[in-house]
Amino acid sequence: MKRCFLLLATASLYAAAPHLAPVKLPPFSREVLPNGAVVDVMVRKGVPLVDIDVAVNGGEEADPAGQAGLAEVTGTLIRRGTATRSADEFSTALDALGGTFRVQTDPQSTLVESEFLAKDISSGLALVADAVLHPTFPAAEVAKTLAQRRDMIKSAKSFPSRAIDQYAHAFFFGPAHPYGHVVTEDSLAAIGRDRIADYHRRAYVGRNLAIAVVGDIEPARVRSEIAQAFGSAPAGDSFRSQQAVALDRSGSPKLLLVDKPEATQTYFYIAQPGIDARNPDRTAIELVNTLFGGRFTSMLNEELRVKTGLTYGAFNRIDEDRLQGWNTVATYTKTDTTVQAIDLAVATLKKFHDEGITAEQLDSAKAYVMGTRPRQLETINQLASELLRLEVLGLPRDEIDGLFARIDAVSLDRANRVIREYFEPRGLTFILLGDAGKIRESVSKYASDHREIQISRPGFGGS
Amino acid sequence: MVLKIRRGSTAAALAAAVFSTCICAAPRPAAAQTGETLAPGDTVATLRLDNGMKILVQEDHSTPTVALYLFFRVGSRDERPGITGISHFFEHMMFNGSQRYGFGEFDRQMEQNGGENNAYTTKDTTVYTDWFPPHALELMMSMESDRMAHLTFDPKVVASERGVVYSERRSSVDNNDFGALFEQVNAAAIVAHPYHWPVIGWPSDIEAWTREDLEEYYRQGYAPNNCVMVAVGDVASKDVFALAHRYFDGIPSHPTFGEPPTKEPPQRGERVVTVRRQTELPSMLLAFHIPETRSPENPAIQVLEALLSSGQSSRLYARLVDKDQLALNVRAGDETSLDPYLLTIRVEPRAGVDLARVKAVLLEELDRVCAQPVPDGELRKAKNQWLAGHYRKLKTVAGRAGELGTYEVFEGSYRRLFEEPGAIEKVTAEGVRDVAAKIFTADNRTVGILEPVHASASDKRASGGAQ
Repeated sequence: MKRCFLLLATASLYAAAPHLAPVKLPPFSREVLPNGAVVDVMVRKGVPLVDIDVAVNGGEEADPAGQAGLAEVTGTLIRRGTATRSADEFSTALDALGGTFRVQTDPQSTLVESEFLAKDISSGLALVADAVLHPTFPAAEVAKTLAQRRDMIKSAKSFPSRAIDQYAHAFFFGPAHPYGHVVTEDSLAAIGRDRIADYHRRAYVGRNLAIAVVGDIEPARVRSEIAQAFGSAPAGDSFRSQQAVALDRSGSPKLLLVDKPEATQTYFYIAQPGIDARNPDRTAIELVNTLFGGRFTSMLNEELRVKTGLTYGAFNRIDEDRLQGWNTVATYTKTDTTVQAIDLAVATLKKFHDEGITAEQLDSAKAYVMGTRPRQLETINQLASELLRLEVLGLPRDEIDGLFARIDAVSLDRANRVIREYFEPRGLTFILLGDAGKIRESVSKYASDHREIQISRPGFGGS
Repeated sequence: MVLKIRRGSTAAALAAAVFSTCICAAPRPAAAQTGETLAPGDTVATLRLDNGMKILVQEDHSTPTVALYLFFRVGSRDERPGITGISHFFEHMMFNGSQRYGFGEFDRQMEQNGGENNAYTTKDTTVYTDWFPPHALELMMSMESDRMAHLTFDPKVVASERGVVYSERRSSVDNNDFGALFEQVNAAAIVAHPYHWPVIGWPSDIEAWTREDLEEYYRQGYAPNNCVMVAVGDVASKDVFALAHRYFDGIPSHPTFGEPPTKEPPQRGERVVTVRRQTELPSMLLAFHIPETRSPENPAIQVLEALLSSGQSSRLYARLVDKDQLALNVRAGDETSLDPYLLTIRVEPRAGVDLARVKAVLLEELDRVCAQPVPDGELRKAKNQWLAGHYRKLKTVAGRAGELGTYEVFEGSYRRLFEEPGAIEKVTAEGVRDVAAKIFTADNRTVGILEPVHASASDKRASGGAQ
């Protein structure tokens, strides 16, 4: 009796998931200051915190040739001495408030992400504006930061998962594409105080800035304070992105082997051209990639982890940046099973390409992407970050609000078409990091065009 | 799912974002925020089933999502030589099939209903974390109850999952400088208590666990009376309680692991550990014995840690990274623990610096904190940093589920979460100095050095390599 009840109960649990309400951006105000700076303000109550984030358009793409890291290093230095505060004074003031201040650079922007207790918003704004608009780049601080950044290259080589990402970017994108310019000892040597100050002068200007303030705040008052804090910046010129550099699909496979002697694991990427953030197929690609390598029950993870235990996790990554990026498998396995794992990854890709997916699979992907969406727009940090991404990439609000409608609109035919177009099993680029002594012979079969470098060699293999 | 990420994200970070992983250390605080004001303890509804299982529910209808966490009081603390790492292995097996939900069904059902999951194992607990849309609540209660009471152990699955765990060990310890150093420092600092062995387990134990070991461990450790379930989000507490009764009442309680048999004897002299590896840069890790999380000294220890390494104006960062330029980074911290454990200070030295000098400067700064009570401004700063950090952990339904459960298990009551700001506020400068003076003695100290075997080519170009 109890068993029957349980079976019935179980059956009802398998019923199709209800249609989920679209996850949209909460209300916010957007205005453009006279100097061109964009200001987004969003009220979010809850824990008494406020995020003050600033995006400087450009990012890695703005680094001149041979100076990879210029935008990043400039971002690191803005808090290390301003017109009114030394580095120590800035840190002391920030820490005294319990605030955080972090600067990251991505392919299209430099992002200042700061957070304060809501009651301290005025002090927080003053600090952030000071760093963004009035840094002085003291020579000693510049030298210190460059030295630390050089050391970070070395320490990255102690973490194979970090190191392989740099090698892979340099090798896959190559010197002609901005995403192939990774930070090396050589590129840092070309960056000095003058270039940093000059970059700041050109880039940190009204027309190139977007500010997002999200949190437990009083919006009218805050808008006026932001205008006061950032309105004094010169208008300047906004960053002009280069024309898209189309990635070539027609070449034969190539392989880079980075030798880390005594490594017990091989990390590997299997890459092909991907998309940019505006690609009309992006939503369909997100859905099919969920199935291929974007969640635990993905085909890749199923084959390489669940069924065979070859790896702790295998997944497929498709970046969405301003310029065309890549579509790459990323995983690792112990040295002895390198070829078995790579063969299996390629076979899974080929099967995906040749056989496509079913309607049931597509429904599962849709449910997953929609069901997990609320947690991606839950925090003030995530919301501020999304607002700034729209500004940097010039995307409309509907990019977020219309996601569920775009998901609904993806038909099975379209899904299978994008699979055939974007998930090619031929002409792949292989990047491996492991014990070359043990694997170089057996992996040479993947590409006749193959190269090998030592991890101890300065840089990440690019030119 | 397409991940919009920045260059430099590691594969591991992506992995952690996308699918089930486990973290063999105390949970990292989750970032977060919701639309509902964090209210005092009476917004948490509680229920204890007859079989001893405790359920906490905090409603939050501002976002259509639910975090459901199950905290089991089972960890490496309950193991013994021969089966070290089995709690963590067991955590993996919990996803591999139970009576009503066959192999792979747990993940498949969750993901096609718009859910995600993860889990982690620590010295003291194994925590199963589920996030899903509200309509999947009953499904989750059904699946969680089934694996709590009726997990299956297919020998082929055991074999394959062993490979996965070994792969995890390889990437988090064998191929990871910090992991390798930490494992040795931990084992040197803790010599007798079960915290001595790594949560992931010694390699030969990973190779040797049997299916019988697993079943025995499951029978002993996994019981409703050993579980705290926490639900935070778009749910009604009455619904959670009704489902808890329906799915968990029938699971019988039984005695589980008692206290560990061996207490750690006091350390009576500095210990030094060296690990030699093929790598580019040296590392340093210091460990000092501190009381368990529940101790009345814990608030002062938290303030001390903030003072030492929170922010660029902190004592250790300002001296080692900024002024003397000896290190790339320095961090002091501890893990929640049921028994006395360790405060660690991790230093990433710059290339070419003299490690003896790094140690000397570090100890000089620790001596300073022991000698003089900190100035008022600095004490206020540390408290503000702690408070802001406290709010950060409570931003998401996930973060709150984690904090409520952690406080319930480690401090005896979830209410302590709401009392903690008050306890921190009461910490005095003398209190910080006194606790520092007790902790930072030479006799209480274990020093770990990671020594690169081959010096890097450093600023010279290497001439080797095929290119």
